[in-house]
Amino acid sequence: MKKKLVSLVLVASMALGLVACGKSATDTSSNAGTGSEAPAVETTKEDKTTLNIWMSSEPAHIDPALNSSVDGGCLAVNSFEGLMRYAADGSLEPACAESYEVSEDGLTYTFTMRDGLKWSNGESLDASDFVYSWKRAASPEVAADYSYLAEIFPSFTYETGLGDEDVVASEDGKTLTVHLKSVCPYFLDLCAFPFFFPVNEEAVEASKSADDPVGSWANDAGENFVCNGAYVLSSWNHDSDMTYTKNDNYWDADSVSVTTLNVMLTAENTVAYTAYQTGDLDFIDDIPVAEIPTAMQSSEFNILDNLGTYYFSFNYNSDLYDSLGLNEEDAKVFRHAIALLIDRQYICDTIGQTGQVPASTFIPAGCVDGNGGEFKNTDYYSIDDYEANVTEAKSLLESIGLFDTATDALTQDVSFTYLTNNVEGNVKIGEAIQADLAAVGINMSIDQEEWNVFQETRKAGNYDVAREGWIMDYNDPVNMLEMYTTESGNNNPQFGKDSSKSLDWAKYDEMIDNIRTEADLAKRAELMHEAEDYLMDTWCIIPLYYYNDPYMIKGYVDGVYGTVEGMKYFYHATIK
Amino acid sequence: MTKYVVKRVLLAFATVIIISLITFFAMNAIPGGPFNKEKAVSPAVIAQLEARYNLDKPLWEQYIIYVKNIAHGDFGVSLKNGREIKDIFAESFPISAKIGLLASVIAIAAGLVLGSIAALMRNKWPDRVIIFFITIITSMPSFVVATLLLYFFCMKLGWFSAFSAGENMTVLPVIALSLSPMAYITRLTKTSMLDALGQDYIRTAKAKGVSSRKVIFVHGLRNALIPVITYVGPMIASILTGSMVVEAIFNLGGLGSKFVMAITNRDYTLIMATTIFLATIMVIANLITDIVYKVVDPRIKLD
Repeated sequence: MKKKLVSLVLVASMALGLVACGKSATDTSSNAGTGSEAPAVETTKEDKTTLNIWMSSEPAHIDPALNSSVDGGCLAVNSFEGLMRYAADGSLEPACAESYEVSEDGLTYTFTMRDGLKWSNGESLDASDFVYSWKRAASPEVAADYSYLAEIFPSFTYETGLGDEDVVASEDGKTLTVHLKSVCPYFLDLCAFPFFFPVNEEAVEASKSADDPVGSWANDAGENFVCNGAYVLSSWNHDSDMTYTKNDNYWDADSVSVTTLNVMLTAENTVAYTAYQTGDLDFIDDIPVAEIPTAMQSSEFNILDNLGTYYFSFNYNSDLYDSLGLNEEDAKVFRHAIALLIDRQYICDTIGQTGQVPASTFIPAGCVDGNGGEFKNTDYYSIDDYEANVTEAKSLLESIGLFDTATDALTQDVSFTYLTNNVEGNVKIGEAIQADLAAVGINMSIDQEEWNVFQETRKAGNYDVAREGWIMDYNDPVNMLEMYTTESGNNNPQFGKDSSKSLDWAKYDEMIDNIRTEADLAKRAELMHEAEDYLMDTWCIIPLYYYNDPYMIKGYVDGVYGTVEGMKYFYHATIK
Repeated sequence: MTKYVVKRVLLAFATVIIISLITFFAMNAIPGGPFNKEKAVSPAVIAQLEARYNLDKPLWEQYIIYVKNIAHGDFGVSLKNGREIKDIFAESFPISAKIGLLASVIAIAAGLVLGSIAALMRNKWPDRVIIFFITIITSMPSFVVATLLLYFFCMKLGWFSAFSAGENMTVLPVIALSLSPMAYITRLTKTSMLDALGQDYIRTAKAKGVSSRKVIFVHGLRNALIPVITYVGPMIASILTGSMVVEAIFNLGGLGSKFVMAITNRDYTLIMATTIFLATIMVIANLITDIVYKVVDPRIKLD
């Protein structure tokens, strides 16, 4: 329904665009969207202290412990602050902590807190607030989506939360000591992640009730909403807009020159795009697909690298292989051939359109290895020579008796179904894959399901091939590798779930366990490469491209930056 | 009359209960759940959440708990964002109702006037002009109207801001919402007015020398109103509870979008609340419609 609305509105707006084009007889470009008349780049704005921005629809939660969306995270990083934060160059810098020390075994972090930290209500904030907040975030009462992040602590369980020894504040509140279960090269990244942001104990506890063990303190603007970051929520018209105003008690308030952030809340990127064009918004975090070709011409169009991979997965236990007469080994060869038959560059150029890079690995390019280097050091297949890939795919199919190179045709009917959620871009990608496979005679049909149903079907393994995608929460390969352990809720390919198969998936589970406990970072990186190799060797995971993150920002705004995890930082923005 | 109203209220109550029952079991029957996330949430966390919201109990028990809570005025909290359902309604319904009420008033007033004019000046140019525009408006869904308004008044003319924090647009959404019912009321009024004006009693009234104004308004329009009232009752009910499309385009944060959002999110408590709310408003609107019949036309017997 919503999808339908968006496309209908798009059609309507495109029709309007055509009318507008008709007036200026010279404009015959095919980019007949509402943006056909690209406005001149504005280089200055009268109001230097207000920024109007749009990220997405209203996030489910702005309580940093409960939030699990990227747009909610953007609001969190601008209104709360953890021990660490990201600088404009993507590096981590101390924030609420002034400095930190790591023990030799890498298991104990000691943070020295900055002096004079205050909450937005003027009360002082110290290490004990972090103890309270982390324990709360990981507690069973809060039952946060991201509670798995607390698995890094030695005494954490889902039933009891954190233990008293996991995180300890000194008497004077000046130091915070954190004990980890095993070496965690991304721990400082986590310290800049919303789940680990401090929340105000008084505000939270006051808003709790017998029915509400979480606390409704962050459900509305007002006195209850206490934070420690650059902006404090001053008004919230649900599903319409929010206003954040500068928090004068923020330790770094001197460097905040934009005093008001107005946030538009809508799910419709066409509506936001219109407001951007009328100048009512200064920043939009997404651009309607139909407008991308026009928008890209503008100097206001920006692309950020994203740490994430768009891919699809084969169900390892699908009966597709039996029906084709393939044993487990042959099935692997079959999947390998499919992986080679896809023209990834075409998908990036015509569907993605924002300069996505074709993927040749599961772990995205740009992800670090936890040992000072980039993780990606291989290509599981060539992405430059599509013709050669197709030739290789044909000979692979021939080797399992499905293809005859002499007649250049399949020897039997090969049909299966591609499952995706019913979003235009995903369906288009399915259609591109369909066309690539049809070129060798493989008949792939596309099934669309509504998002919530789609997730259930995929999880239950009721599919042959399904669309997948993941943007990393933190910059470490284990974040993606651990999705495929046998018991993981994301094990959509059903690895290790059919004991009649000879696939040894207990070995993969063990690999992930070893990665989690390995103290030697070089060895750990090596183990992660082995795990990715083992995963990719099933050819159940077929990467298509690495995500990127297009956004638009007016020419008069400087100093807005983002991270590879998709967070956007506005507090150092300046307006010309 | 009183007996009739009591009977109808009881019937309305039963209708709402049946609707809630069907909705409750239907929404639980469709695949998906409120805690599905792209990154699967750990089973322990899901179990905690299900226990908190009683979703771990058998369905019939869940329904009984739900009905009991409602009887105490407790509609629960949204499973998606933990906010009280009554807070969600308290802030979003007035937004939709304000726009809806204004749109209804405009649609009814303009529809009656235009329809009467068209009927009285049948086949003359005012009739033709009105019918021409009415036909165009009827064939344009509200989202097209809304998009057109946004395009011309916000982008081209710059009379209104497409986004302004803390301020909801009123004029454009009211226009977008009122045009289509206005067109329908105009057509209805014209047809039934023509029908009424052709009746014997009109001729009688005229023959008795009643002034033409009185003939039109007291004898003509009053009798022509019956079909219009039949349409207007449910129309007001649906327009008051908000239009998803118009609210999305003008970023209003009204109740309209909640209906669809609730289902997409499998937000069970919100699905129930929106359904019961809409059902209640609908049966009330129908009840009022029936009573108004009686007022307009005393010949109608209610029992």
